[in-house]
Amino acid sequence: MEKYYITFRSVTTAQRGERCLRRGGVECRILRTPRWMEERGCGYCLRLRPGELHKSLELLKGEGIAYSKIYLQDGVGGVTLWTP
Amino acid sequence: MTYLDHGATSFPKPPQVHRAVAQAMRQCANPGRGGYPAAMAAAEALFRCREGAQRLFRCPAEQVVLTENCTQGLNMAIRTLVHPGDPVVISGFEHNAVTRPLYALGAKCHVAGRRLFDHGDTLQAFETALKAGVRAAVFTHVSNVFGYVLPVSELAALCRQYGVPFIMDAAQSAGSVPIDFEALGADFIAMPGHKGLLGPQGTGLLLCGRLPRPLCYGGTGTDSLNREMPDYLPERAEPGTRNVPGAAGLAAGLEYLYRVGVQTVGKRERTQAKLCGEGLKKLGFRVFSGEHQSGVVSFLPDMDCQEAAERLAGRGIAVRAGLHCAPLAHETAGTLETGTVRVSFGYNASDAQTQTLLRAASQLR
Repeated sequence: MEKYYITFRSVTTAQRGERCLRRGGVECRILRTPRWMEERGCGYCLRLRPGELHKSLELLKGEGIAYSKIYLQDGVGGVTLWTP
Repeated sequence: MTYLDHGATSFPKPPQVHRAVAQAMRQCANPGRGGYPAAMAAAEALFRCREGAQRLFRCPAEQVVLTENCTQGLNMAIRTLVHPGDPVVISGFEHNAVTRPLYALGAKCHVAGRRLFDHGDTLQAFETALKAGVRAAVFTHVSNVFGYVLPVSELAALCRQYGVPFIMDAAQSAGSVPIDFEALGADFIAMPGHKGLLGPQGTGLLLCGRLPRPLCYGGTGTDSLNREMPDYLPERAEPGTRNVPGAAGLAAGLEYLYRVGVQTVGKRERTQAKLCGEGLKKLGFRVFSGEHQSGVVSFLPDMDCQEAAERLAGRGIAVRAGLHCAPLAHETAGTLETGTVRVSFGYNASDAQTQTLLRAASQLR
């Protein structure tokens, strides 16, 4: 199953993002960002179910919550940087 | 005990604060480091504290830095804005938490406003200093000795008008007087968590309108490859493990205040301070009171102020006497030689407390 990862520099921003998405009806989970996704060291990310990325980005934009990057994990384990 | 030393720390704390601290001790590991449930519970506790501050002070959660106390926040703010030798304007009612860091930096302090409870004097003196040119302004919201509530909205507007960054010391106002971070446009507002905000000792908040210069450097759990501190908040100002039980307790205190209302708490405190001041005057003491006064009232007994406080303590009343770490405020009021006895009401202020104090004070002869 496809999954999206939205990465954040700060755990606090990731938490704000989590609150924002949940308020908007998007189910998500906050996680430590996989090491290879985080070029600056460590960070936090939100993992989304497929089909909810665009709504999520709108919600984050609406509250001015800045993210770092988005990654797409395909059904067979490959991961690519995703650009809106 | 009749506790009237809320200016030092609020006591006792509401029961929900005790419960939140105990729960955090049981459930929380290290915040912002791991991704397992106990680590995330710790991160959640910190975030709830920031959210509580966001709701009460209109400051974005990322810009709420968790400190050990108000003093630490003031030091960080002052070291961000002030450089050695800089001219700085401060009020005549500042605490040592402001004057000592400035002295240590070698700042040239211009003291503005020397008249208690006089907004006109305070504003005029600040405008004169701002016009003359200063690098920064630092002012307390409420004098910790006399309860004088400074005209901070107008002071903030003056600072903005003259393009001077400013720091507000909210040590005695947070939780008792409404504070709107966004409307003030402050560069920094520092406050303790353990006074009017009803949190545990060892907690504080620094609301940041700009990136602070870190006081301390170390791990933040993010941005680990960077040899410098992160250039974003709150991590930049929060190296090392935070006080999670403290933040959980502070979040419960903030929640309590949001529910009861800062206006309600402040009114309760001011009402008792006024009654207390009037009663002390009737007893023949010199009382420092006036318009624009919070829930703090100072008086001069007919004996050494420490002895008076000791006698009151013997009757089960907790007040603070002396210079209250604010010699500048005493110099301004002309009480540097004597000090004062300070009565400071809190969220649980009541007629019974005031009457108990006045009965005991009547024996101070």
